[in-house]
Amino acid sequence: MPDNWSYVFSAYGLAAVVLLGYWRRLAGRAKSLAARGARRAA
Amino acid sequence: MRRAWIVVWKDVLSERRSKESLNALVFFSILLLFVFQFALGPERARVEAALPGLLWLGFILSGLLAFGRTFLVERENDCWEGLVLTPGDKSAIYVGKLAGNVLLMAVVEAVLLVLFAVFFGLDFTGVLPGLSLVLALGTLGLASVGTLFGAITAQMRARELLLPVLLLPAVVPILLGSVSATQTVLLGQPLAEAAAWLKLLAAADVVYLVVGLLTFEFVLEG
Amino acid sequence: MAARVLGWLAALALVAGLVAAFGYAPREAVQGNVQRIMYLHVPAVLTAYLAFGLVFLGSLGYLLTRRPGWDRLALAAAEPGVLFTGITIASGSIWGKPTWGTWWTWDARLTSTAVLFLVYVGYLLLRGMVDEPDRRARAAAVVGILGAANIPIVHFSVKWWRALHQPATILGPESSPIATPIALALFTNWIAFTLLFAYLLAKRMQIARLEDMHAG
Repeated sequence: MPDNWSYVFSAYGLAAVVLLGYWRRLAGRAKSLAARGARRAA
Repeated sequence: MRRAWIVVWKDVLSERRSKESLNALVFFSILLLFVFQFALGPERARVEAALPGLLWLGFILSGLLAFGRTFLVERENDCWEGLVLTPGDKSAIYVGKLAGNVLLMAVVEAVLLVLFAVFFGLDFTGVLPGLSLVLALGTLGLASVGTLFGAITAQMRARELLLPVLLLPAVVPILLGSVSATQTVLLGQPLAEAAAWLKLLAAADVVYLVVGLLTFEFVLEG
Repeated sequence: MAARVLGWLAALALVAGLVAAFGYAPREAVQGNVQRIMYLHVPAVLTAYLAFGLVFLGSLGYLLTRRPGWDRLALAAAEPGVLFTGITIASGSIWGKPTWGTWWTWDARLTSTAVLFLVYVGYLLLRGMVDEPDRRARAAAVVGILGAANIPIVHFSVKWWRALHQPATILGPESSPIATPIALALFTNWIAFTLLFAYLLAKRMQIARLEDMHAG
């Protein structure tokens, strides 16, 4: 059976994009919230 | 449970006077029949083959409309606080509203069956007992989730969107079970053939009812 | 911060998982290397079930105690849960194309997972549409509880539905006894995904708590 590496990589690639994207969104929100907190405290 | 009875009776009476829900739902069923026919084309065999699915599609679509209106009267007449402030066990309200929805659905289903019989020359008389059991189990499942989610979405702007979005995935087992069991019954096979599905429907009904009974008071808090 | 530690652990474990999936695990005899997608697909679905179990817990916890922390747990578990479910479906579909020839089959697990996905997307949509925190938490909790209670019912109904229409079982990782290297690779990736989920959960809860503080 042919190895179909393109399928393997697209599956892993998709997962990576989704998870990385979510993580970056979280990190961004955490940063802006922290900044807001610092401004408030100051 | 007397309070539940009072809720049903009030809804039945007000419905008997205005008939707004009932008339519109019955008319909607008639429209669905035509839509199904036009969607599936002139070949009678295709419609007959799809009959169990079409019946339940009809019931679910009508149900969506009916469940969305479960608390309409209370909402429009500013009686929502009345529900919220009811002392004691609020699950009686759930039972009452559920019973009302089941009654409504029963009428719609009877009408739809008669219409299908008339328009497609089908004879349901032989299979009526088995069919009624399947309808009862399936309708109870649909209505128990529908009433609960109807209450949740009652106060929301986006209720017409959110009710189907929440309800349809939740009632997938009811749909699968009811259609399969209906098919068995309509093929004239003995009810025992559908026993597994009937048990699944019954189990699902119990789960949905219990969740509804236990969580309704949390929905009705404001 | 605990989240930071979790994050690094997760990253390490993910690397280990990739090594296990591509380096250590053998090329499967029947399917070829495309079978390696399973090291993504199976851990993803297990993580999704963990997530929805936590949604149930958080929902129950909120209704019983009214402490916002429980609602934050439910929300923070649901978001990555939906993502992992989506990854499960996508990887299953991508695996299916070269294996069965189509992008989608209504096979039992794929269909059940798709229904799960729809339930929890609806859950998140509901949360997005209610502004008042207590009403949102209560409504979401009820939907979350029903959704979780429904999982076994959906599973069985779809399984029996499939049995009606396609008695033959198709190749799947469960159909043959699992060799040790494969099991080990699966296990490693499962741990890695669980750690990743825990990290995302912790971060999301942090954010939710900060947002509640700023709002209040």
